[in-house]
Amino acid sequence: MGADIGVDAGGVTGGSSGGSSGHTSGPAGPTGPAGAAGRDPRVPFGPPPLRRAGSKGEWLLAAALLIPNLVLLFLFVYRPLVDNIRLSFTDWNISSPQANYVGASNYVEWLGRADTRIVLTNTLIFTFATVVLSMVLGLALALLLDQKLRGRNIVRSMVFAPFVISGAAIGVAFQFVFDPSFGLIQDLLAKIGVASPNFYQRPGWALFMVTSTYIWKNLGYTFVIYLAALQARRGDLDEAAEIDGASRWNHFRKVLLPQLRPTTFFLSITVLLSSVQVFDIIYAMTRGGPIGNGTMTLVFQVYHETFVNQRAGYGATVATVMFLILLVVTAVQVRFMDKGARA
Amino acid sequence: MSAIARLSRTNGRAGMPSAESGIQGRGPVGKAFGYAAMVLVLLIIAVPLFWIVVTSFKRQENIYVRPAEYLPIPFHPENYSEVTSRIPFSAYFRNSVIITFFTASIKIVLGVLSAYALSLLRFPGRNLLFVVILAALMVPNQITVISNFALVAQLGWRNTFQGIIIPLCGTAFGTFLMRNQFLSLPHEIIEAARMDGAGPLKLLWRVVMPLSWPTLVAFSLITVVNEWNEYLWPFLMSDDARTAPLQVGLTFLQNNDGVTNWGPVMAGTVLTILPVLLLFLVLQRQMIKGLTSGAVKS
Amino acid sequence: MSTFSRRTFLGLTGVAGTTIGLSACAGTGGGSTGTASATASALAKNTGPATGTIEFWSNHPGTSKETELKLIEAFKAENPGATVNLVDAGKNYEEVAQKFNAALAGGQLPDVVVVSDVTWFNFALNKQLAAVDDIAKAIELDTDDYVDALYNDYKFENGHYAVPYARSTPLFYYNQDLWSKAGLEDRGPKDWDEMKEWAAKLKAVAPDGGAAMALADGSNYLDWVLQNLVWEFGGAYSKDWTPKFSDAKTIEALTFFQGMAKEGYFKFSKDAAADFGAGLTGCGIMSTGSLGGVTKNAKFPFKTAFLPGEGNCPTGGAGIGIPAGITDERKVNALKFASFITNAASTVTFTQATGYMPVRKSALKEEAEKSFLEANPNSRTAVEQLPKTRSQDNARVLVPGGGAKIGQALDQIVAGQDVKTVMDGLQKDIEGVIAAQITPKLPK
Repeated sequence: MGADIGVDAGGVTGGSSGGSSGHTSGPAGPTGPAGAAGRDPRVPFGPPPLRRAGSKGEWLLAAALLIPNLVLLFLFVYRPLVDNIRLSFTDWNISSPQANYVGASNYVEWLGRADTRIVLTNTLIFTFATVVLSMVLGLALALLLDQKLRGRNIVRSMVFAPFVISGAAIGVAFQFVFDPSFGLIQDLLAKIGVASPNFYQRPGWALFMVTSTYIWKNLGYTFVIYLAALQARRGDLDEAAEIDGASRWNHFRKVLLPQLRPTTFFLSITVLLSSVQVFDIIYAMTRGGPIGNGTMTLVFQVYHETFVNQRAGYGATVATVMFLILLVVTAVQVRFMDKGARA
Repeated sequence: MSAIARLSRTNGRAGMPSAESGIQGRGPVGKAFGYAAMVLVLLIIAVPLFWIVVTSFKRQENIYVRPAEYLPIPFHPENYSEVTSRIPFSAYFRNSVIITFFTASIKIVLGVLSAYALSLLRFPGRNLLFVVILAALMVPNQITVISNFALVAQLGWRNTFQGIIIPLCGTAFGTFLMRNQFLSLPHEIIEAARMDGAGPLKLLWRVVMPLSWPTLVAFSLITVVNEWNEYLWPFLMSDDARTAPLQVGLTFLQNNDGVTNWGPVMAGTVLTILPVLLLFLVLQRQMIKGLTSGAVKS
Repeated sequence: MSTFSRRTFLGLTGVAGTTIGLSACAGTGGGSTGTASATASALAKNTGPATGTIEFWSNHPGTSKETELKLIEAFKAENPGATVNLVDAGKNYEEVAQKFNAALAGGQLPDVVVVSDVTWFNFALNKQLAAVDDIAKAIELDTDDYVDALYNDYKFENGHYAVPYARSTPLFYYNQDLWSKAGLEDRGPKDWDEMKEWAAKLKAVAPDGGAAMALADGSNYLDWVLQNLVWEFGGAYSKDWTPKFSDAKTIEALTFFQGMAKEGYFKFSKDAAADFGAGLTGCGIMSTGSLGGVTKNAKFPFKTAFLPGEGNCPTGGAGIGIPAGITDERKVNALKFASFITNAASTVTFTQATGYMPVRKSALKEEAEKSFLEANPNSRTAVEQLPKTRSQDNARVLVPGGGAKIGQALDQIVAGQDVKTVMDGLQKDIEGVIAAQITPKLPK
């Protein structure tokens, strides 16, 4: 898996054209300066080759550069993660000084419980919708606002603005949008004679509400990354495409999208990871309800089991399962995107 | 430095005229379509924002009414003064600035350094290490806070800025983003600079960074936003306005056991968004400028 | 070796050396100190002024921070040797509990902490809160002066684990305009049967999008106010540690409730007080804590009344507890402070500023309170209802996650699912939780 990520390489702001040449040259690849020179000249980007093994000085420098970050991550992320995995084999009550080993019974319970399927389905729907929609819309907006249009700076700021607001504040503020009695949506619907759905009482609508709110908020993120990518991209390919007289759609599909592939890869992973871990919006809007688990996602369940049901051991189990799922999904993404980049 | 000079030229030539995505500007129809799309976007994004702003100027009894009132009449800017009088707004604001500035700065530096080591330096286990860092993105903070609280409390760092800042400083996101960026750089240029005798740090500072400016700005923006909005950890770490940031302080405008007057809450939200939005306005110009001029300067 | 200390493995998994060294000398959250001082008969009489620093963790219920600071000033005036740090411990009761749990893991405990009706018990069950009875004896605090129903809410085995502080009950609010349009007498309904009759008339006069009665939904404490209806039918969520969801009477009550819901008599929402305050419903059952907000929002005359039925109004709200893991000396000072901010004079100040209930019997004899209630008949309703209150069922307030589970079941009933099926499922669920999480920890 490590090698795969390395091979995929490319960059967020430019990168591989999707052409077959030179792009499998990861750190382990054989391509040297000579190889680069022999490449398609329209493909100027790609990971630097490992021309030679790093010298000892380089090795030491790398260590010096990496150690502060690694120490912090180990201390404040991995140490608690290991704690959490241990706790998942206990019956720990959040307020108790004692925890008893219960073997794998929490995991067995998780597999057998009726709400597991509901929570997984909610998480899947929410994550899939947010990843796909926020990326597609983010790219569309970046393309639109990359153009020379009057007033685009204002619109750019506007698109970014929701991302700046904290999830908790958005959750609170959006009750004035979705509230079935006083909200903006019911008012607009009433004007055209349609009754507003009850976003807070119907599980399906509640999930729709938190999903669309999250997409609305998160657009600014995908937008800004795509915009940075578009702007850091070099123009050679555009010019070539224009000379070829390619249609816009073909240009988009054949030139732009492949160019943006590393960005897309990066976003697909980071948006997925942050979507799965959404908490504030759900806490502020629905607390996982209605009907108890209408908008209950994995992370919210971790919170709910740990701090509401006080079953910190079981909460740790859900968290561990979630970590493993994310690990596998990310590995698959890396593989898939890597294959795509090579094809 | 011939390589760098060449690079600057290339970049100057290619960057300026086609910093646009190349599918626009083909006649008035395309333009009209562009503007129409922009208006649509503005509506979808701006209407809820507008609603928040309007609510922040409403009196309590004008908020929960049917039919909804689209303009704040009577106009009630007192919500804003209520924010600053009911909570020590300036103290919270100062704390937010301190926490955001230091956390974001450290994260940006660590992210760039880690990414550089993981992309352009050669050492064994490089990719494995990258995966290890990446996996940190999969750990939700709901499971880390209790354990970290115990550790930081034992250090006697509760109610201190270092207690809030240091545990937040490790960055997996920034490492991932910047590594991707560095790997995308044309390696002819890197190689040429190396052949010109640039050492690793000089390479980073003089060649890699200027070329990565837009991504770095995007990374900085996102980091600032995330730190500015950090809630759970600072809440657990701080007991009062000595170290608590705005996001924590604002919650005390809500009535936690009764009817909340949402006007001041929305006013507080607006006040919290503004500084970061202004920063974006400034930096998004930098994102464009960075590419076209950053390399030329070197 | 089946059990191990949480502190040890919380502390140690990372950077071995330093962390272990640190955990060894930090964190008093463990059980040892607590159990030692639970045998507090050893506490000597100590009736002098409080000393030292007292850390008070509060979410300032009812936006009461300023009032709390005022009470603290008064306390310091009487106890010049003491200082009090008022800590912003959360925006709601859940957050205070979360922060307190973090402190239990990592040390640095507060002296006094706000605990809600649903959060105090788990701390007491896990020996993290001190019983106040013996400390009260040591400082000669007369706990009989606390309103019995409110103080006994914190009784577990042979001790009380908090003193009442920001206590509320549900109240019946009604819109007098709609009341007269519907041709109803100017009073609250006698019982739920009458309520149902009235609801039909109210529905006819309620505005578009409204209903007869506003209620919170299952994610927002419907389970709290609905105890009133269940009790009226002779049902209950539980009796002691035996769940009663499958009881014929409970099912009858909830079938009645579902019938009313099907008729469209209720308007459920996140914030019932907002719906009622906007004039959408003829009446509503909301907390006393909502009184101030409703008064501000409502553009129509409204009144409060007792809940339907006799003697079946649930108590609610928060108390203040003292951690078990602090020294006896700190506990004594802590209770001196806790008793001060809940004494007659403080109670009068606090309740008038927030709308909560007076928690001391003697407070009702204070002139300031009498004249306040005279001038505020809607607040008086709550106080007069106090003798008719009943402590909540264990299944809601003492079973971990019980309230949320009941709320979920009520949502299901409202959505039209079969009452008996839902309640049988809930019965089994709660039985399981009690067997797994509570029974093993109860003294034999």
